[in-house]
Amino acid sequence: MREQQAGFEELVLPHLDAAYRLARLLVKRDEDAQDIVQDAYIKALKGFKGFRGGDARAWILMIVRNTAFSWLKKHYANRDVIPFDEAVHQPSTEESLSESAYEERSRQLREALARLPVEFREILVLRDIEGWSYKELAAALKLPLGTVMSRLSRARLHLREEIAKVQHRES
Amino acid sequence: MNCEEVHHFIDTYLDGELDPARRVELEQHLALCPSCRSLLEERKAFRAFFVAAVSGYKAPPQLEAKILAAVRLPERNTARLLKAPTRAKFSLWRQPWIYATAVIATTVFLASKILFPDGEKEFSSQAVFRHSSSLSTLHFVDVASPNPAVVKPWLTARLDFAPPLVGSPASGYSLVGGRVDVIQNRSVAALIYKHDQDVVSLFCWPPDKEHLSTSERSIEGYRVATWSNAQCNYVLVSKLSDQAMHDFTDSFRVRIQSGAYF
Repeated sequence: MREQQAGFEELVLPHLDAAYRLARLLVKRDEDAQDIVQDAYIKALKGFKGFRGGDARAWILMIVRNTAFSWLKKHYANRDVIPFDEAVHQPSTEESLSESAYEERSRQLREALARLPVEFREILVLRDIEGWSYKELAAALKLPLGTVMSRLSRARLHLREEIAKVQHRES
Repeated sequence: MNCEEVHHFIDTYLDGELDPARRVELEQHLALCPSCRSLLEERKAFRAFFVAAVSGYKAPPQLEAKILAAVRLPERNTARLLKAPTRAKFSLWRQPWIYATAVIATTVFLASKILFPDGEKEFSSQAVFRHSSSLSTLHFVDVASPNPAVVKPWLTARLDFAPPLVGSPASGYSLVGGRVDVIQNRSVAALIYKHDQDVVSLFCWPPDKEHLSTSERSIEGYRVATWSNAQCNYVLVSKLSDQAMHDFTDSFRVRIQSGAYF
């Protein structure tokens, strides 16, 4: 048991940042993301005996993803739009005056991301941050390859549009 | 490969997932076309920025400690933790004030629904009404032409904005013409397309206050899609299949974004 525990920690703890980033992009709020990651790690430990080697990072990320989706289902089942993370949505006026061009762009990006459907945020982070191939995405998300490609291209299109809208509103 | 195809495949190319034959064609085009090269640079720069900005999300330092504490507990405690996770359970149902709060919250929610109705839904039902009355009166268009260069100036002269015109947004679609219509007390452009025997109405107008969110719904047997970009709100009404509707909306949006419209 102790040995297994050590193996578990060694394998999945290094991916904590990636796990948190995915959870944060899916559920948006810091506190909720932390709860989800913690929940996912406990579930992962329980299922660790069933883990037969392979990519530990992909394995823990999928557990985070499934945990996040059941959380979203439970909390936002009857709503079309998940509200913004307030911290991201309403920067104080002073903050926006002093923010650098890069910070401004990142904030606009986060606002645009927050307006995308969760499936789009998910595929963007798995492809562009985690670098998964179309095949890996299709297998993990249980989607046909064609759907992966069209979802990805729609996600990028929508993201560009949302960024343009945020910039337009602010200009 | 022409510029339009390059636009279509450029992200797949950057993902390293374009098949070898197309990759060669795309690179040959890039070698000759400065505007596609600059699009490529733009997309590359955006990706680098995206990765940097999103990587900024890092697990807060206390999270690792919390997780270690949780996973190092003896097994029966872990089981308990799984059942009742991080937040303390509070026996809400035994508090009398919770029922009063629920009644007030429901009232406020219903009042807000009446006072501030869902914009997408409102616009969608009005668009369906305008679409179906144009079908029943057989008054589809004020200006009939498949040519955007004819339809656009006609509409622009009668509206307070210039609607973007795309002749054939996706294969199988052709422009029939346009008319001036009214939605929510506002003059809007209605662009009429045909797809086989189906008539498609695309309503567009500049957002006064709110940009419409992306939505899809069925109303009275019609499929309705809403979306917006920086310049316009759009509502599309038709009886098309979802697949055919997405072909239209996706290609239309790509055209507008890449400036390929009249």
